[in-house]
Amino acid sequence: MAIDLEKILRPIDSPIPEFPPKLMTLAGGEEMVIRQVGREEIPDLLPHVAPLMHVERDFYNIVASRVYAELLGFYTHRVQDEYVLVAQIDGELAAIVNGRRVSAEVGMSYHTLALRRGLRVGAHAFAAKMEYHIDILKQKEVLIVAESPIGFRRWMIEYKLEKRFDIPHELGGVPSWALTSELYDKARSSLVVGRRPVPEHLLAKAKAGITAPSDPPTPPIDLLAATRSLGDSTATALIEQRNKLGGS
Amino acid sequence: MEMNIYAYKCKKCGHVQYPYRTICRNCHKNEHNEFDIVPLPKSGKLLTYTNLYTLPPDFEVVTLGLGIVELEDGNKITGQLNIDKPKIGMKVKGKVEVVRRDEYNEYMGMIFYPA
Amino acid sequence: MREVYVAGIGITSFTRLEYPLIEIAAYPALMALRDSSLDKIDHLYVANMGAGRLNHQTGLASAVVDNLSLTPAGADGIENGPASGASAIKQGFLAVASGMHDVVMVIGAEKMREVNNLEATEFVATLTHPLAEYIYGVTLPSLAGMFTRLYMEKYGVTSRHLAMVAVKNHANAMLNPFAHLHEPITIEGILDSPEAATNNPFVADPLRFFDCCPVSDGAACLILTSAEVARKCGRPMVRLAGVGQATDTHAVHDRKDPTELLAVREAARQSFAMAKLKPTDVNVAELHDAFTILEIAESEEVGFFPKGQGHIALEKGLTKLGGQLPINTSGGLKAKGHPVGATGVGQAHEIVQQLRGEADKRQVKNAKIGFTCNFGGFGNNVVCLTFVREN
Repeated sequence: MAIDLEKILRPIDSPIPEFPPKLMTLAGGEEMVIRQVGREEIPDLLPHVAPLMHVERDFYNIVASRVYAELLGFYTHRVQDEYVLVAQIDGELAAIVNGRRVSAEVGMSYHTLALRRGLRVGAHAFAAKMEYHIDILKQKEVLIVAESPIGFRRWMIEYKLEKRFDIPHELGGVPSWALTSELYDKARSSLVVGRRPVPEHLLAKAKAGITAPSDPPTPPIDLLAATRSLGDSTATALIEQRNKLGGS
Repeated sequence: MEMNIYAYKCKKCGHVQYPYRTICRNCHKNEHNEFDIVPLPKSGKLLTYTNLYTLPPDFEVVTLGLGIVELEDGNKITGQLNIDKPKIGMKVKGKVEVVRRDEYNEYMGMIFYPA
Repeated sequence: MREVYVAGIGITSFTRLEYPLIEIAAYPALMALRDSSLDKIDHLYVANMGAGRLNHQTGLASAVVDNLSLTPAGADGIENGPASGASAIKQGFLAVASGMHDVVMVIGAEKMREVNNLEATEFVATLTHPLAEYIYGVTLPSLAGMFTRLYMEKYGVTSRHLAMVAVKNHANAMLNPFAHLHEPITIEGILDSPEAATNNPFVADPLRFFDCCPVSDGAACLILTSAEVARKCGRPMVRLAGVGQATDTHAVHDRKDPTELLAVREAARQSFAMAKLKPTDVNVAELHDAFTILEIAESEEVGFFPKGQGHIALEKGLTKLGGQLPINTSGGLKAKGHPVGATGVGQAHEIVQQLRGEADKRQVKNAKIGFTCNFGGFGNNVVCLTFVREN
């Protein structure tokens, strides 16, 4: 009986081509690999997403909470045709992007979660997601929304997205924006980068295990931290410490 | 009617300055309003230029060409460029057109084209 | 004139700070008071450029002096564009040198991350000439872009030289716990890799993203005192020996040769003359590298290197940590960050740390003479300071 019910609850995923892994050099000279992960790797991602649910800055809390739910939904077969791509630097988790195939022609972009800030890590991961929809899945357009002002500026302005306000987006039912294949072609040369194939050893390193981000976003400091200086998580606390210890 | 950008010619020493200053930069003797208003020439050569990609929010273009032009009379002016492949030293010719719009206003300024 | 000493210093991280501007300004003051063991001041100067526009806060000096419970000391706000910080130090210098006050606190504070990058750039663009520049869409990056193109044409500076400035200053910032950017970049990553054009896109060509400073929050504080008070404070004696300031045309196109930064040249000349020193005496300098090209150009105009030779000195590594004249050991505006009104005070903070021998891993050995150049507008209002370590 329970098995039968599960059959009803579990959607049947459409067969879709995989995202071929790619490699890019970041401004710091580090090599970043972007690749698709299957259900079996989701438990390795969740522990790195969970702490961000409590980072109440730049909308990390809402984005991380939703990503967590989407990853769990994917893992337990509760979302149809979802995919997850990860960006890794030397094995370390740098970004997670996900989305869904709505139909042969339309894709639904879910989230872009950067666990390493700066150096365009999030932008590269987002571009890979668009590449997957338009180039690999051959879809005509991808529906997008932004939850944070950073996201809005990045996606809506850099890619000059079109309005699809008549279509509610799956994230919150808000009006959608669309990246059409024509807009993608215009952005391709300047925003979409990466090399294939990824050298064997780098891909092996990435697949060997998703390691924790070394410098993930942290909760904002207490508003009164300036006057209660030890609560200041910025480097000012270092001098404070030095003063306390009576050093120079 | 052809529009112009105006410069200010000192009635005492004849120096032409752009933009406006209350006291003449050359003779320092002049006082307010003792200037003749003279149109700046429109032809000149491009001294330097840039394509700006991070634009103020009220511009609805991807990139904006900006340059400094040395005009025929030796005065220099900053203006927008409507030139595909600008080159330092090239001859340019300006037109006074709308260079910026905000909610209620239009601002006129010099836009340079290849001569 | 009396001699003027730096008796105490303090600084916040230059980054995004999530507490109110008044507290951002107060925190380094707290540290400077502790550093100098003083608990009273005669006068406060607060340098800030955007509080009225960005933070809905005017009269910042009055707010800060009260927050620090330093009333009834006098307090003035100083707004002089991105040179506000050094301008405020100059006012503090005059107040002590004249004998009017014995203890003057100078704070530079700015909170720019309240708005997004485009709005911050637009705010700074209000520095430009309203009719001859601003209406065309001219911003500081575009002025810097035009300046760079001409400089390249005239002196053979290349994008690689600019990238070398960025890489050097990012590396220095790695050693500075207060710096905004802790991102070790490489020439490979920002210039040579196939992804470089996307990682490091044009902002105002030939200037790219990594040629421009970040938008930062932050504050720094200096306490300036007479010699008598400074000796009682017991900190290493660092004297503010030279102060120079000069201006240039408001509109950049109005200059005879737009590649010459005459205000920098004149301000530096005055500063060295007052200190009775030469540019070659300097051991460590902080130059206003809001754009990488400016570090090269200013290193020439202040007299460290002949005109057109700054990029050669850079190539030879003379300006690196460990070189003959390390420049921007703090990371500079490029990587330490550029909270506009605070920058001039932040530069002085770095130099005082260096001269005291308290700069940790980025310490320049035996640094006795330090120099700062704080550059307002696009070179239309420049303040240069010379500091000397005594005893």
